[in-house]
Order: sequence, then structure tokens, then C-alpha cells
Amino acid sequence: MSSPVLTLEPELSKTLLQEVMDRSGQNLLACYQCRRCAAGCPVGDETGVTPDRLIRMILFGEKDEAFNNLLVWKCVACYTCGARCPNNIQTARINETLKQMSKEAHIEPLNPKAAAFHDAFLTSVSHFGRVNELEFMGLYEIQNTRSELKRGGGWKAVVGEMKKQARLGISMMKKKRIHFRLDKIKRHSEIKRLYKKAKDEDGG
Amino acid sequence: MQIAYYPGCSLHASSELYDIQSRMVLKQLGVELKEIEDWNCCGATSASKTDDFLAIALPARNLGIADASGLPEIVIPCSSCYSRMIVSQKKLLDDPVLKNRINAELTKKVEGKIKISSILDVLVSKASAGEIAEKSIKKLEGLKPVCYYGCLLTRFPCDVEVPDNVENPQGMEIVCKAMGAQPLDWSYKTDCCGASAAINDTDTSLLLMSRILKDALSRGANCFVTTCPMCQLNMDAYQDRVGEKYGIQKRLPVYFITELLGIAMGFSPDEMQLNRHFIDSIGLLMELKLI
Repeated sequence: MSSPVLTLEPELSKTLLQEVMDRSGQNLLACYQCRRCAAGCPVGDETGVTPDRLIRMILFGEKDEAFNNLLVWKCVACYTCGARCPNNIQTARINETLKQMSKEAHIEPLNPKAAAFHDAFLTSVSHFGRVNELEFMGLYEIQNTRSELKRGGGWKAVVGEMKKQARLGISMMKKKRIHFRLDKIKRHSEIKRLYKKAKDEDGG
Repeated sequence: MQIAYYPGCSLHASSELYDIQSRMVLKQLGVELKEIEDWNCCGATSASKTDDFLAIALPARNLGIADASGLPEIVIPCSSCYSRMIVSQKKLLDDPVLKNRINAELTKKVEGKIKISSILDVLVSKASAGEIAEKSIKKLEGLKPVCYYGCLLTRFPCDVEVPDNVENPQGMEIVCKAMGAQPLDWSYKTDCCGASAAINDTDTSLLLMSRILKDALSRGANCFVTTCPMCQLNMDAYQDRVGEKYGIQKRLPVYFITELLGIAMGFSPDEMQLNRHFIDSIGLLMELKLI
């Protein structure tokens, strides 16, 4: 695997680095590139970019690369990198922060399905206070279809995805692993207030 | 002995069998689970990937309800719920300003005093006290599981005390041995199955699961045992696809630790809901004459 040369952009690096450090709570400056994180990363072979490289990008202010790399979008949040880091840096947290920042900046995610999945999950929680797995998967598929068509993926990709999920859905139904009951919490207003506060914080 | 109980959404839906087994098995061990009232979803990994405030606030509401129960300890079988509650409790301990902001919206305020336990913590203490061996009327001889912990029982995205060895945990092995099973040593016990990537990045998840399945088979295991509903569902529901894609012929049943305990305690396969698995999990137990 070869890596492109990174150029230091002093002005850009300060703001990007500071924001990532503040929001993720991770001290990226402590990284001395020992690459224990890279050795343990289960998706590192797939992503090319390993946690150490990502930290380096942010330190160098390479904003585009920091948002548009497969590690941010394929990270499975297994926390192996953080558990092995001698300086206690949780790159999985950095990936979460970068996902949030790229959404706020309206940057098209490299894996739109992951973005759709997590959005649909939180939307379902806002409706009932608990995840209704059927509603959640429905919301996910709708959002997925919408973004697939917007990207020009065409109906073929949509049908392929639907078939894949239908296969899982049918076998889950056969094994009584799908439930049709509606689980809604009583003090749902508290959940609504927490969501509102979350939105206000993002705005501020 | 009463312990507060948080089932979480999985145990009320796709992994309902785990809820049923946990209640029955723990009751047999003298533990009465008191489900906390009106609990909500913990936000799972989706909240932390989307919204830092909700990632702390959603579990916090449950912690407030749990604190108000007056019980000293809460058990959370789902690894994801367990991890998010630990993270939230720790964050609110470190950040009183955030704690006040969240508490302002809650009927039952977070105090942060309740002890959060995984189901394994509870079971290991029972095994160490000799109670599991005592209640195991059947010894699970011939059962050679690989204990699959997954990510979230031993690795946390913040500084908290980990109850087991981070890289080579032993809790599940202790419980398996107490039932008379012969758990095997292996290299993938804390590796990731991909969790939600099975849905939104399937190829990555199938690759991760193929490594786990291959290592288990190469060690001579005849089943997986786990405490995590996501690991269980993924390794169970996707195992055929993993096998098809990576040319692996053999399949291994993926048991929750609670159903093996149930079988050892003499519950029937029906009571333990063994027919709700994707990979046949009854055949092996019959072959070994355990049911």
C-alpha cells in the first residue's frame, strides 16, 4: 500500500485539529505513530487508511482527506485501536466526530448506507422511545432508496438491496425473530425534550 | 437477591429468546430480575455516530430510573446497552455541567450510584461461589465451545475499570467449565463481527465473520457461545452467507450462554427456545446426548 505525501497547512490544521480534539475528547497531539492501532484494526486492510494515518491527516490539516477516506466510513467501532494505544487515543471516537462534522458540512458520505442506517435508527427511537425493528428497517430502506436514486444508482441497485434485506427478513420471520408488537414508552415527552435539546445544542 | 434489569430493545424483539432464558436461568440461581420501569433505547452505536448529546442523554434517562429503583446493581445482558450505560455514567461523573443539563429534562434524575453489571459479571460470581456447578444437573460433556466476547465487554471508549482481561478474557470460560463443558482457546474471542455493518456494509462484515468462523473451526470447536445479542444474531443469521462466500462447508451453532446454562440445569429445549436459531442448535445437543 502506498500513501500520498501530506503537506502541512498551518492555518487549516489549527482549526480542524482543534475542532476534532474538542468534540472527540481525544488528544491527537499525543500520537507518536507507533502504529499499534494499525496492527489491530480489523478493517485496516480494506480501508488503506489506518488510524495512525488518519490522525496524521488531521494534524496536517488535510480536511478533504480526513472526511473522504474509507476508515471513517468502514470503522466498526470495535475500539481495538483505543484499547491498544499507549497514549489512550480512541480513533473510533475521532471517526464518530468526523462523521458528524461531514454531515453538518453536507459532505456526501463514502458509505451512504451507514449514514442512512444510523439516522433511521435515531428517528425510530424518537418516535417510540425504543427501537421498533420493523419501522427502523422500513425507514432505513426508504432513506437508502432515496439516496441511491439521487446518486444515479438506478432501480437495479435498489432492487438488489431490497432482495438482500428481504432474504434476511423472511428467515427472521420463520425463526420468530421479528416482533410485531408496538413498544412505546409512557413518558415519551422526556425523550422528545432530550431530542429538542440535542437539536438546540447542534444549532448553538 | 434482587437485581435491577435493563433488557434493551434487542431483548424485546429479535433476541427475545435471550430475555426469556436470562430470567429463567438467573431465577434458578436465586437472582430475581426487577425490570426497570419505562426504560428507553440506549441509542446503541447509532447515537454516538450521529449525536454526542443523545449518546449520553438516552442512557442517562435509564440510569436515573435505575438509581430511583433503590437497588444497588443493574444487570444489562446486551453488550451494546451495557457499554453505552457505562460510558454515560462515567461521562456524567466527569462532567457535572452536562449532568445538570440532562437532569433538567428528566423526571427521575441521574445520581450515578448504581453498579452496572454485564450478565457475565453476575454469572462469574455465581460460578466462583460454586452455585453454577451445583445447579448443573447435567454436565455438558463433549461440548467444545469457543467463547465469543466480541468488542464491547472488554473495550470501552473511555477510562473505566474492565472486569476481565482486555485481550484474553476468561469469564465465559469459567462459567462454561462450571457447567462441565470444555471451552477451547482461540484467537478471535474479542474480534468484531461487524455489528450493524452486516446491514449497511455487508461485505466488510462477512469478511470479519469469515475470520472468526475459520479460526473456531480450525481449533476443533463444535459451537460458539456468546453473551452479545448482536454477535449472536450476526454469526447465526449470516453464517450461511459467510460459508457460501468463503467456501466453508461446516456450520456451528451460536448459543447464548444462558441457553447452555438452561440445558445444564435441566430445562427443555422448548423452554430455552432453541428452535429460534438460524443454524440448527438442537442436533449437536442430541448427538452429545445432552437433551
